[in-house]
Amino acid sequence: MELANTLSQDGESRGGVLAHLERLETQVSRSRKKMEEPQSAQAEESALGTRIHELRRLRDKLRAEVKQHQASVKASTTNVEPDQTLEITEQESLKRKRENVKAILQAYRFTGISGKLTSRGVCVCISTAFEGNLLDSYFVDLVMRKPLQIHHHSIPVFIPLEEISAKYLQTNIQHFLFTLCEYLNAYSGRKYQADRLQSDFEAFLAGPLQRNSLCNLLSFTYKAEPEGQFFPFCARLLYKDLTTTLPTDVTVTYQGTDALSTTQEEQRAAHEDLFFTKPLHQVFTSFARKGDKLDMSLVS
Amino acid sequence: MMTILKTWNFLSENQLQTVNFRQRKESLVQDLVLLCEENRASLNDAALLDIIYTQFHRHQKVWDVFQMSKGPGEDTDLFDMEQFKSSFKKILKRALKNVTVSFRDAEENAVWIRIAWGTQYGKPNQYKPAYVVYYSQTPYAFTSSSQLKSNLPLLGQALTIASKHHQIVKMDLRSRYLDSLKAIVFKQYNQTFETHNSTTPLQERSLGLDINMDSRIIHENKTEKERVQRVTQEIFGDYPQPRLEFAQYKLETKFKSDLNGGILAEREEPLRCLVKFSSPHLLEALKSLAPAGIADAPLSPLLTCIPNKGMNYFKIRDK
Repeated sequence: MELANTLSQDGESRGGVLAHLERLETQVSRSRKKMEEPQSAQAEESALGTRIHELRRLRDKLRAEVKQHQASVKASTTNVEPDQTLEITEQESLKRKRENVKAILQAYRFTGISGKLTSRGVCVCISTAFEGNLLDSYFVDLVMRKPLQIHHHSIPVFIPLEEISAKYLQTNIQHFLFTLCEYLNAYSGRKYQADRLQSDFEAFLAGPLQRNSLCNLLSFTYKAEPEGQFFPFCARLLYKDLTTTLPTDVTVTYQGTDALSTTQEEQRAAHEDLFFTKPLHQVFTSFARKGDKLDMSLVS
Repeated sequence: MMTILKTWNFLSENQLQTVNFRQRKESLVQDLVLLCEENRASLNDAALLDIIYTQFHRHQKVWDVFQMSKGPGEDTDLFDMEQFKSSFKKILKRALKNVTVSFRDAEENAVWIRIAWGTQYGKPNQYKPAYVVYYSQTPYAFTSSSQLKSNLPLLGQALTIASKHHQIVKMDLRSRYLDSLKAIVFKQYNQTFETHNSTTPLQERSLGLDINMDSRIIHENKTEKERVQRVTQEIFGDYPQPRLEFAQYKLETKFKSDLNGGILAEREEPLRCLVKFSSPHLLEALKSLAPAGIADAPLSPLLTCIPNKGMNYFKIRDK
């Protein structure tokens, strides 16, 4: 350009050529520019295009992330429910366990002796049974003190509780309970036999069964067959041992006015044996089943 | 009346149906007497009817309690009811020719005995009989208080020997309610026991007081009321009390006074007086004293020991 300026100071003609050159130069630069512009526009275009691509990519990426997040949130909420149900089943299982334990404690009475702690000691329950039948339960409420005391009880008055306590309560409580258990079970068993005889075999007895509180003396007049009006035998059963359910003494006498025949004597003796060895109601069950003929095989 | 006659089982169904039970008492009695004569009623039948009537109306009599004792180390008691009855009758008849003895079995193990006492030369008085109720293989016998007190030792002797005991003592226990007396001496009144099978919680206690309390007074003395309830429950339990009509205290104690001086204060001899508590249901009444605010809790042991000791007659002397 300095050349152009120096040229212009020389003269007008030169200005013309120089100006012309100048003009040509600018034309060239313009055209160059014009030629460059689409290139830059293109470059810009392509730059923008790439930017668009980038943004699109970013957008898709973010969209994908959002979706994933939503999905994971959903997944996490569904994961929360199994936790809650786990809690509930824990509760239920605890409840079931507790009821199970309670049921076991309740079922303990089937062992014969069970107990429950009380505020002052323990309440012992003696459940009696005979031949697999569960009979009455009796209670002894003990106060844990020195000396050990019985607060109250449901033992019948004719069971020698005072005697048994005097012997064992202070020294050996296990023995006390077992002895009491023995007496009560034996009493329950004898009572069961007497009750069954009275109720189930009334037809075999002439008149009521004679008994006492302990059911340790039974006396009755009976016949051994379901038919017939004659009650030929009179039995007297003594249970001198209060811990047993079978008699210690048996006397069977013949009631008839006529002389005792041999068959009747055999019967009488056989009956005595039966009463010694079998529970009372079972003897009469065998009478009812066999009818006239007494099955000697029953006599062990 | 129908139940009693049916239980007696002496007049047949047909005969009973012919009787008009709605007529006047005198005519009704006449009709029944005619029927009895038809059936040839004996003294024993009449005595049996008397026993049945008394069994149904046992509260009409006042019952005493006797306690028997055996010697130590006796054999097992093989009580034979028939032996007892015949022995009892024999002993009475041997001592007193003019006596009517009748028996009626009751429950599984008890016997009711009716005794009409006569004298050496006089026939038995059938209108003032004595009754005895005895449960086999127990040391207790219940007798209706008889006016003829002179025969009591003989009765005691007959009971003792027939039941194979050695001694008999009259207890200081008396009431109209035979079943309550039985519950007291047989220790059957407190029959609630804690088990794992019981569903009712023991801590439940109904404070019946709340109904009567003024609704504006809510918290007044609440702790004290609760203490009273607790103490009462500890002493009397949750079970229904046996029924007695009175408790009698014969005091022979020296007069005690806070005041100095006074005429009675220097008296050396004991003062004799009788304190008697009466009630349709004495023990329930005593139980309600402290919760009702009439007495302090705990009550005097003289009052609360009644069922435990089996006494409602007390003699109190200075120690």
